Amino acid sequence: MNNAPHILVIDDELQIQRAIRTILTEKGFRVTTASRGEEGLTLAATNEPDIVILDLGLPDMDGVEVCIRLREWTQCPIIILSVRDSERDKVAALDKGADDYLTKPFGIEELLARVRVALRHSAGKQGTQSKVIKAGPLTIDLAWHIVKRGDQEIKLTATEYKLLAYLAANHGRVLTHQSILTHVWDPADANHTEYLRVYMRQLRKKLEIDPERPQYILTEPGIGYRFIADE
Amino acid sequence: MRSSSFISHFWHYFLSFVLIAFTTAIFFALRDALDTTLVALLYLIPLGMITAFWGFGPGITSALVTFLTFNYFFIEPYYTFTVHRATDVVILVVFLVVAVVISQLVGRALAGLAAATAREREATQLYELSTALAGLHNDHAIAEILARQVQEVSQGETVELNITGAETFAFRLPESATPHRPPEWVIPMQVARGALGEIRLWRAAPALTSSEKRLLQTFASQGALALERARLAQAESRARVLEESDRLKSAILSSVSHELRTPLSTIKAAASSLRSNEVSWDSPVRPELIAAIDDEADHLNMLVGNLLDMSRIESGALKPKREWNILPEIVGSVLARMKHLAGEHRLEVDVPESLPLVPVDYVQMEQVFTNLVSNSVKYAPEKTVIRVRAFVEGELIHVLVSNQGPQVPQEHLDRIFDKFYRITAADRVTGTGLGLSICKGIIEAHGGRIWAENLHDGLAFNFTLPLIWEGTPPPQLPMDTETE
Repeated sequence: MNNAPHILVIDDELQIQRAIRTILTEKGFRVTTASRGEEGLTLAATNEPDIVILDLGLPDMDGVEVCIRLREWTQCPIIILSVRDSERDKVAALDKGADDYLTKPFGIEELLARVRVALRHSAGKQGTQSKVIKAGPLTIDLAWHIVKRGDQEIKLTATEYKLLAYLAANHGRVLTHQSILTHVWDPADANHTEYLRVYMRQLRKKLEIDPERPQYILTEPGIGYRFIADE
Repeated sequence: MRSSSFISHFWHYFLSFVLIAFTTAIFFALRDALDTTLVALLYLIPLGMITAFWGFGPGITSALVTFLTFNYFFIEPYYTFTVHRATDVVILVVFLVVAVVISQLVGRALAGLAAATAREREATQLYELSTALAGLHNDHAIAEILARQVQEVSQGETVELNITGAETFAFRLPESATPHRPPEWVIPMQVARGALGEIRLWRAAPALTSSEKRLLQTFASQGALALERARLAQAESRARVLEESDRLKSAILSSVSHELRTPLSTIKAAASSLRSNEVSWDSPVRPELIAAIDDEADHLNMLVGNLLDMSRIESGALKPKREWNILPEIVGSVLARMKHLAGEHRLEVDVPESLPLVPVDYVQMEQVFTNLVSNSVKYAPEKTVIRVRAFVEGELIHVLVSNQGPQVPQEHLDRIFDKFYRITAADRVTGTGLGLSICKGIIEAHGGRIWAENLHDGLAFNFTLPLIWEGTPPPQLPMDTETE
């Protein structure tokens, strides 16, 4: 046994299994694969993987269901794989506890980036989360509530700051509209995506160099937003 | 109905007797002046009239009564029914025979006339029914018309039509009636392939006459034929739709397999040459080949995505997830992403920040802008301007994507939104020919309208979307301005 992170891949397509296994093994991860939901749940219980990569379209059960069953006992990061045009399924899985998603077909850099973010966040849950987030020229100090570009402090409204702080604390991870609205506003406002749109636009104008082509706050169409910080 | 006919019968007999009594009285007054044979002849006049006016029954009865009164009042000895003279016996017998024969002949002629009239009425009713049923392709409409005609002909208390088939239902006339007993008459509606339903008639009395029964049966079979015709027509139109969609599918398949093969060929060629030892590890071609595989895989993915979108639009599964969105944000992100594709084209945007929020599906709207702009990029020559403009027009938002590309002949302006429609030869421009029809599908799913128009220097795609969503105008958000 070595200490390399252990990744469980649950996907019924053997070609995808093979590709992911080859690349992740090459990158030094230990990889276990399962083709069915029940098999995946059993393997997850016996092996206690560090990350689960889960396809939403499994032959024996709904991927969202697998997510829910995993979340009953483990907080290990779950990255879901799904095809395009299933935003509803993705959002459902994310709101049921999945951490991130990848749309098939995906590039391998994307997969590795998601895996890295997932590992960092699961480490962060154990108390090593950084309080100062850097993204290009931006510095966000979560302890002192200060946002700077270079040496220049950026003035944000209370809501804007709350929004940015939530995104930055989860940098690298996708956050659904609903989770942002419940967290920054109120659970009662979970359907008011217009709040989010309007404040996000304001925030981008203050932070981004070109708000039309954001580099730090990315839109995940139909899903939510993702804050990109320096690794 | 029954009592009125009884009264009219009684009345006919009564009038017959009055007429006979009246003529008898006149003849009696003139008895001495009239010869017995003349009286017998004259008696035939009222008899003929009675039969002609009131029918065979009163006629024959009157003939017998007249025979008696003639004997009683006019044949000697008077006031008895006895006859002494042989000639009188002959007169009486001849009178009786002639009277009976006349009333029979006249009566039969009348009955024949009545039957002919009844047949004509039946024929008219049947004609009316078949005219009313002609061209109907809806079971409910057929049932209603048939029930009304049956009701009119039968004068029943309630008529109910039970129609069986793909949709089983009952139509009752009057619609409020709720009969508490089983119907007296049930007439099945049958065609060669089986029963299509039945006519149920509540009419306690009088019983249906045989001609009424015959007529109702004819009605039932006419109704059954109309129903069958309607079903055949429906089946035919379904078959036509299937055939059309089948034709479309084969068009899709042939177009798609052609389109899919192009990126596949590139991928195959690049991958196989990398795999063989033809390309050395440090060759500069190597990264190019790898980039080609990556790009073409994306292209392939886009094509498949378009197909998927189209099939969702076709099947009505494309339900926009509408939310209040910022239009400049959508346009901005699409154009930023397309900048490298636009190459030598100049993109100009006039989508003001002051526009109200729009109730649209973010992802689908991105797709609309992507398709419209990429269509413009494909067809308009390089170094020309592609312009995106949006403004409010009453309760609508109006968006224009215009280019300086070739115009489209007026008669083709609508058709460019059809699937697989291309103005130019298919091999000059790549794509599935689905982009614009996907736009149309999305805009229409949002309750909007899309059209193309020729400009003096190019072509413009226009679309409008409602700003009112579920009766609500775009929200104005209270913004906090206080900084931390």
